[in-house]
Amino acid sequence: MSPPAPSSAVVWIHEEDLSPKSPALQAAGDGTPAVFVIDTGWLRDERISLKRVVFMYECALELPVVVRKGDPVEVVRAFAQEHGADTVFATATPDPRLRRQGDALQARWIEPPPFVVLPKAPDLKRFSRYWRKAERKAFTPTENQ
Amino acid sequence: MPDLRRDFDSRDDLIAYCTEQFPDAAAVDDHIAETLGGRREAEAVLSDVDPRAYAKTRNMLTGAVTGLSPYLHHGVLSLAEVRDDLLERFGPQACSKLINELAWRDFFRRAMSEMGEGVRQDREDYKTGWDAADYADELPADIAQGETGIDFIDAMARELVETGYLHNQARMKLASYLVHWRKVRWQAGAEWFLSHLLDGDAASNNLSWQWVASTFSHKPYLWNQSGLIFISDGQFTGSARDGSSPFAGEVPEIAERLYA
Repeated sequence: MSPPAPSSAVVWIHEEDLSPKSPALQAAGDGTPAVFVIDTGWLRDERISLKRVVFMYECALELPVVVRKGDPVEVVRAFAQEHGADTVFATATPDPRLRRQGDALQARWIEPPPFVVLPKAPDLKRFSRYWRKAERKAFTPTENQ
Repeated sequence: MPDLRRDFDSRDDLIAYCTEQFPDAAAVDDHIAETLGGRREAEAVLSDVDPRAYAKTRNMLTGAVTGLSPYLHHGVLSLAEVRDDLLERFGPQACSKLINELAWRDFFRRAMSEMGEGVRQDREDYKTGWDAADYADELPADIAQGETGIDFIDAMARELVETGYLHNQARMKLASYLVHWRKVRWQAGAEWFLSHLLDGDAASNNLSWQWVASTFSHKPYLWNQSGLIFISDGQFTGSARDGSSPFAGEVPEIAERLYA
């Protein structure tokens, strides 16, 4: 086996990004090494049951990724080192735990295509207020957003 | 840190491997959902969606719900992709209700983006006349084990654990029972759901629980026996073993009983 080709980036696939069309995978480009980490601390702390793990694993098997387990920050760091990479691509997420982990990795966050593009941030105290601003756009295809 | 396996002969092989690699998760509960992971499966589920039937029947427990939520939560399909596909195939009018429901997910995700870990804390006071401190912290064992003796509650508690999925009406009614009838803080129920739901999402799940509890809405969500009989086509009566039902009567009377 020859050593891995030099590369400057890896992709961290997290559990909200389990699509072969992952924005982070697409931004990083074909052939960029990618890793999906099953976060054992999260499983333990939030008492995540086995069926959720199996579902995620099954999703990941359709992606060009290495699957590992452990603390995502440590695992992705080690993975980047193995590949001599200094950049970690990840798909942006509102989840606070994933954000903390990505920030610790100084991830380059890739925004997924938004559901609606709004000129200014809507009031999110109630759905009705958001909907008044978003309704028209919600029925507009992405290409015309 | 070794790579985990990618070569599985069968789903059973994958399940056995996960059980061995993730003993903590198996110890929480080792049921396996029939719902299959993956983009191919997600696209098949999407192609079966019937937005007109959804609009008409989605509130019935056996109605034409989409089954898309586990794929949406894990990013296997995006909200924008699903919306675009439905608009192209059915046009805006037929998709009106379904796109409104997709928008709820977008709303919850935007709200979580602002709130961060605050999604786990009461956004507002309870509008029940009670303080948060009046509610118990722990999920009662009889609910977790599906042994309350109330047909609907027990069936849904078991379905949650065994399948990793619940109809939205079941989620709301189970949440309402826990918070308003049993006086348990919504957080205990939200964590229980997140352990099991394949679509378990801190945004949609926690903020929906808060909506039911009234800490992210103007009033508590309550329901009654006749509503349950209707949405379940008579499959459930909401009765205990002795035939009595805590959900009997009209909603305003129930509110009076619970929070007088």
